[in-house]
Amino acid sequence: MRLEKCYFCSSTIYPGHGITFVRNDSKVFRFCRSKCHKSFKMKRNPRKVRWTKAFRKAAGKEMVIDSTFEFEKRRNIPVRYDRDMMATTLKAMKRVQEIRQRRERVFYKNRMKGKREHERQQNIKTIKKNVELISGPTLKAKELLQKISEKETKTEMDLS
Amino acid sequence: MGKCQRKKRNHHSIRDISRAARTRARTKDLDQIHEDLKPENAEKIKNALPDPDLPGMGQNYCIPCARHFTTSFALENHLKTKIHKRRLKALKEKPYTQKEAEAAVGLTTDNDAKRIASIMNAKKDEMQQ
Repeated sequence: MRLEKCYFCSSTIYPGHGITFVRNDSKVFRFCRSKCHKSFKMKRNPRKVRWTKAFRKAAGKEMVIDSTFEFEKRRNIPVRYDRDMMATTLKAMKRVQEIRQRRERVFYKNRMKGKREHERQQNIKTIKKNVELISGPTLKAKELLQKISEKETKTEMDLS
Repeated sequence: MGKCQRKKRNHHSIRDISRAARTRARTKDLDQIHEDLKPENAEKIKNALPDPDLPGMGQNYCIPCARHFTTSFALENHLKTKIHKRRLKALKEKPYTQKEAEAAVGLTTDNDAKRIASIMNAKKDEMQQ
């Protein structure tokens, strides 16, 4: 028994799930669900579909180079069963998973650094651009504008 | 936020599209065309014998688009079209493989090649002695 990976989204395919397509040049494609199979039939490129692992890795959304990826391997050579080895392997799997999760969290934090500030700036920009939409040049809008300008001067002061 | 929201499932009942997407009507994939475009294979395709079942006896074939044309004139016209140029652009990219899908989740193959090679070398030395 082997856990295969989906051709399209790279998720794990457990026995009894998904569909296999064999092309007329005998190349095998496995899909985890009909969504992936359909996308394949429509000849979509997994590198360009945003929800696939291939996209996320290629676009720098997820960790790519890490030593925790060195453990999971497809080994085509059978290994004689050894109880102790099995126990240590299971232990190692848990430990590796722990470490990877921690590193992924750090990676995500780094990726999201400065996002709040950027979003705030964008919001200020849109408000400034479309002030007239906030029910005309009423008192409210004027107040808002003033607040924004005050804030800006504050941040400038902080920066300088 | 970000991308504007589009109305979904606008084209779900277009019959020709869903028929063309069936696996039995599958056209060549980009990775197959990549194979065809290799000089040794391209040569073979160009020098193929006339086939009465194919359009234009199979003599006017556009390899990047995997399409037969009835006349050489039609083929020449096709080479100027947007579809053809778009295909050429798509073919510049490296084809996607199962290997890439597996690499994306950190799964690679380890057949213990190093150890096997060392064993084989040791055997060879023994034979020589």
